[in-house]
Amino acid sequence: MAWRLAWRGLYRNRRRTFVVLAAVTVGIAGCSLAIATNSGMAVQMVKTAIATELGHVQIHAPGFDAEPQLRLLLEDGGAVAAQAVEGRAEVRAWALRVRGQGLMNSPRASVGIRVVAIQPDAEAQISSFASSMTDGEWFGSQSSRVVIGNGVARRLRADPGDKVVLSVQDLAGDLTGQAFRIGGVFRTSSKAVNDTTVLVRLDEAQRLFGLAGGVSELILVAEDFQAVDSLAEVLAVSLGETAEVRSWKQLQPLLVYMVDAMDQMAWVMYAGVFIAMGFGIANVLLMSISERTREIGVMMAMGMKPRRVVLSIVLESMIVTGLGLALGLALGFFCVWLLQGGIDLSLWADGLENLGVGAVIVPVIRLNDVVAPVVLASVAALLASTWPAVRAAGLRPGEALRRV
Amino acid sequence: MSETAIAEATGLRKLYDTRGVETLALDGIDLTVHAGEFTALAGPSGSGKTTLLNILGALDVPSEGTVRIEGRDLAPLSSAALSNLRMRKLGFVFQAYNLIPVFTARENVEFVMELQQVSAADRKRRALEVLEEVGLGGLGDKRPLEMSGGQQQRVAVARAIVARPSMVLADEPTANLDSETAGRLLELMAQLNRNYAITFLFSTHDPAVMQAARRLVRLRDGRIVSDEVKAKV
Repeated sequence: MAWRLAWRGLYRNRRRTFVVLAAVTVGIAGCSLAIATNSGMAVQMVKTAIATELGHVQIHAPGFDAEPQLRLLLEDGGAVAAQAVEGRAEVRAWALRVRGQGLMNSPRASVGIRVVAIQPDAEAQISSFASSMTDGEWFGSQSSRVVIGNGVARRLRADPGDKVVLSVQDLAGDLTGQAFRIGGVFRTSSKAVNDTTVLVRLDEAQRLFGLAGGVSELILVAEDFQAVDSLAEVLAVSLGETAEVRSWKQLQPLLVYMVDAMDQMAWVMYAGVFIAMGFGIANVLLMSISERTREIGVMMAMGMKPRRVVLSIVLESMIVTGLGLALGLALGFFCVWLLQGGIDLSLWADGLENLGVGAVIVPVIRLNDVVAPVVLASVAALLASTWPAVRAAGLRPGEALRRV
Repeated sequence: MSETAIAEATGLRKLYDTRGVETLALDGIDLTVHAGEFTALAGPSGSGKTTLLNILGALDVPSEGTVRIEGRDLAPLSSAALSNLRMRKLGFVFQAYNLIPVFTARENVEFVMELQQVSAADRKRRALEVLEEVGLGGLGDKRPLEMSGGQQQRVAVARAIVARPSMVLADEPTANLDSETAGRLLELMAQLNRNYAITFLFSTHDPAVMQAARRLVRLRDGRIVSDEVKAKV
């Protein structure tokens, strides 16, 4: 009977039911979309960092993580580390790199840059540089070519084909340099990377830095993103003291913190929305219950127990909220589906690139993100309806019947 | 008429306190309603008729005094026990019909039986029988708002008697009806009283009800001023 009363109660004042339903639906749809956009930004920040700087796991010489220096090179030119990862089913691809600092000169300007020496073919498998080319081309067969970030190109006022000179301090501490031609320009989602990074062939960088075949790191991407931590642990055990193995989370704890902080800020916002929604629902229910106090009195006069009265009222609000949740989630998911091409925020592209996020954000729905609004809205509706219901059912039937 | 007491009130006083203003609604009422009676509580507005009816119907509690229904003192009973007692022993008809608007006429009549956990088939059969008995055969699927005032009050009577209560308490049942409809309703209740020995206790200031009642209790300022038993019809 409580179900029937609750269900029929929805038809009692259709306009009011529609208003509550619309409020919950729009609130949930809006929150789902906001959560999905927020998640999309967080996912993109992580993806960008992984696709440019971090990979999923990096292997360095011991001490490199605390103080990255050119002299800290992997054993045997990375052969030991390469042997540890080669053939592993969990590893999708890997590449060797050298990292260093330098100064790049064009005829018009000089800029301080980070040198990332790469194996072009292998690098294309583990990072997004090759797929982020905006001008010129990725490394071809010609030697003495560099690929630079669009920020570096802008500061140098140089274009593909222009000649530049890269000056570095080699392993022995001597200043040295080499002329290169700009082969291409890339633009990733990270402004920091675009403004500072110069890609050089590994063998040319090894000669320039005087490394004699030495490499700074082995960087890899895993087949399963969720299994990265366990892969890092396995490799650490396998390589023992000869190398330090770091997952992307260990390499960039700040990034993990930022993603967590974004999630927490979003929670604060959603909690505010749901509290406001809860008050709205409570207000409507209070009006609704106040209007039918006499009817509640009649039902209690005929022998309906107070707890059954409470149940029918709470059920009524839970049905509306449940319907609103279903419709809201459906609407939210539909909007996310419509936006799978991405939300174009080109107007704020520079600001977003500072965060490591591209100008086009693709909303992402995660199961946990959906659970949160569902639970919060249900709790809000439950609390908002229980109080007036208990209050109404707490009246003696005679008192309730006297209410007009 | 049987001498079995259905409701007994002794030394009833009821004081309402509305924002510090005290109003004495009942002042020392002693009244016994016996099985099968067709009794009217009459008196001007504010004389305490509805208050007395509510207290005898376990809808309200007295400030002083005791109430017994079929010999059972109501004072120590919990809210749930009082609900149970009302469900099994009492029926109510209110001045403003007070049907549940989201239910059909049949569902309104079935309401008490549903609380009593009577099976759906039995409920439906019994509700249709009683609706037929009160002259509303064929209107079971109508919602209250689709019915006239007289029809709604007949549904209310059907709802009150369908579970065969010991006593039906009717608060000004004819007040919102025209005289012809009121007369027919009164006749219906008198017939139910005769046929099924259901005890009826009305509050009223309708002369027609007073005339139809076989016992007339007059109240004024919360006191019983006369208690007249008429000859059997």
